[in-house]
Amino acid sequence: MAVLVDITKCIGCEGCSVACKMYNGLDFKAKPRNIKDGQVELDDNRWTVIQEFHPEDGKLRFVKKQCLHCLEPACASACFSKAIQKDEKTGAVVYYPDLCVGCRYCLVACPYSIPKYQWEEQFPQVAKCQMCEARVEKGDAPACVSACTTGALISGDRDELIKKAHEIINSDSRYVNHVYGEHEVGGSQWLYISDVPFEELGFKQVSETPVTSYTKSYMSKVPGFAAAWALFLAGLSYYNHRVEKNKKQDDDKQDKEG
Amino acid sequence: MSSKMSRRKFLKVVAGSGAVGFGVMAAGCKGKPSGAEGWIPDQYQSKGDFPVNLKGRVAISATNPSIERDDEKCILCGQCVEACKNVMGVYGNYPLPLKSEIACVNCGQCVMWCPSGAITEKRNIDQVLAAIDDDTKHVVVQTAPATKVSLGEEFGMEPGTSVGKKMAGALKEAGFDAVFDTCFSADLTIMEEASEFVHRLTAAKDEIPHLTSCCPGWVKYCEYFYPELMHNLSTCKSPQNMMGATIKSFYADKMGIKPENIVNVSIMPCTAKKFEVAREELEVDGNRDMDYVLTTRELAVLLKRKGIDLNTVPEREYDSVLGESTGAGKIFGATGGVTEAAVRSAYFFATGSNPPADLLSWQPVRGMTAVKEATASIPGVGTVNIAVCHGLENARKLLDGIKASGSSKWQFIEFMACPGGCIGGGGQPKSTVAAQNSAKLKRIEAIYKEDTGSEKRCSHDNTEIQSVYKEFYGKPLSEKAEKYLHTTFVNRHDRLFD
Repeated sequence: MAVLVDITKCIGCEGCSVACKMYNGLDFKAKPRNIKDGQVELDDNRWTVIQEFHPEDGKLRFVKKQCLHCLEPACASACFSKAIQKDEKTGAVVYYPDLCVGCRYCLVACPYSIPKYQWEEQFPQVAKCQMCEARVEKGDAPACVSACTTGALISGDRDELIKKAHEIINSDSRYVNHVYGEHEVGGSQWLYISDVPFEELGFKQVSETPVTSYTKSYMSKVPGFAAAWALFLAGLSYYNHRVEKNKKQDDDKQDKEG
Repeated sequence: MSSKMSRRKFLKVVAGSGAVGFGVMAAGCKGKPSGAEGWIPDQYQSKGDFPVNLKGRVAISATNPSIERDDEKCILCGQCVEACKNVMGVYGNYPLPLKSEIACVNCGQCVMWCPSGAITEKRNIDQVLAAIDDDTKHVVVQTAPATKVSLGEEFGMEPGTSVGKKMAGALKEAGFDAVFDTCFSADLTIMEEASEFVHRLTAAKDEIPHLTSCCPGWVKYCEYFYPELMHNLSTCKSPQNMMGATIKSFYADKMGIKPENIVNVSIMPCTAKKFEVAREELEVDGNRDMDYVLTTRELAVLLKRKGIDLNTVPEREYDSVLGESTGAGKIFGATGGVTEAAVRSAYFFATGSNPPADLLSWQPVRGMTAVKEATASIPGVGTVNIAVCHGLENARKLLDGIKASGSSKWQFIEFMACPGGCIGGGGQPKSTVAAQNSAKLKRIEAIYKEDTGSEKRCSHDNTEIQSVYKEFYGKPLSEKAEKYLHTTFVNRHDRLFD
């Protein structure tokens, strides 16, 4: 399951963010909007927001922001307690609060700064879009997608949506020839197309290399290394014991003989 | 507890539970993911490919001067989209991507249709109360004709109860310094507009068809979608702003009050009026025509906050100088009313005598039919073909027809944004069923009853109007009248279209 966001079709009604709060049981008025650089930002009660941009005079664009659900999620790889896992069936990157130890490595790891933390809670959790994993598994669209009136959000198979995105771009010269999310940090389930260059709409310029690949070369050796280290220590211990045992036997022998 | 835990035992427990936790995790147990604990309306429980049935909501900009929405109350039912698209012809009638603004004609029909009360008018009650409490300010209030037949509903009265005099009493009790009647300035509008129409019919034929301009929702719609027709719009300001300009000039002079110390408040059945008063062009010599607009609903809240019950408040007369009104001014609140009033006076201006009885009860322009057609024969001018249209989606169809055929068979077209005219405005008391006509029909009935009950039926017979012209404006369309009572329009086409 993937979602294609056509930025040119968004009229800024924010129905998606209301649907998200409704479906996920989030608090509407827990906090005032978190405004950063003039834009409303995600927080633990806002898993998705609509940001307003004026890329040039007389031009108005709205951009939906939420977790992009990477194909190779850095947050999940940073999580040592497996509280963030990539769901194989739906592609959703899902957070399981029961497994979370609260280390917030995921907040640091995410290339898009998406996960937020419940700083005011006594037993805080991480908060981020779950892509309505339970709905998607049933074949429904995520809540935000089904509340979109203009067709700015379309859900479907990722490969088909990428094909569709390129078709739209090729058939209309106004679009920028770029599907954001197709290759960014290895690709994501959420894809964006736009008629305004993405860097003017607050999209981060990220490399195409998955974040996880930087650590993969040595992190993958950790289990082998750990096993080898254990084996080495065991051998050392065995050797030590054997030396001691032999010494003891020798002493006993001498005692008897003596 | 007496038993002590040794350091060794403690470490064993910690390490043991850690090992158990690791085992649970490694075995693939993960518990419930966060989220998905809320509720979502049934219509969203489907594969969400567009278009599914009714759903979603309209966009409301944070800077919208007329309406706002409480997200917590929104249930995404899609009623606002229905109203905006099918009744008002706004939503979906402009291309995407957006250009520079979110299209909204500020009519407030989405407020009327919203079943959960999420969309409301942007309230100005606090500012008005602060102005009343400010002793340095002279707070003047005017009440629109359509509010007089609807305010009672907010106090438990039947739809169609005329409460004009009670409202005047309540407003005086609430502390307003002067209470004037927008029906007076409706008469003033007719004096200007009927003269303008007669002038266009005889001397400025390129400005025919003459399109009315007292409805701010319709005016903005015309500026958005039909800028090529802007020169056909009557240049007359709306009655509300004619009153405002007259108060800050003629009335201020007469009373010896500085215009900047006057606060003009109006009670309107309309949310678009809040947009209208903020229009840049609606000021004279640096004085804003109007300061605040309260909808009928807001007035009810204000009165209740002040502890005033409309049922028990004594009836009072509107204040003089700008308070007298004729039947013609009163029927402005219903669809067809402006036309009927204008024709009565146009007849007089053309012939010098009052119109015959059938033009005083002109049935073809009355009622809830989407587009009403009528013909008036005025001696000296000839036959005038007239159309009356309410609901902007109907206006779209009518104007597209004119555009397609290249010419209009009508010389005069009245447009009202809201179904039924002002009595069905976006600031009116809400009924349980938004689309039902019964309340609207009763309000219309009450308005025409007020008209037939009036001693004077034509705007030009209003003695206070005559004295305002004698003392201040001179005659209709005079230089002074042009300065205070006429306006210009803004082409908004490029804000929605390439």
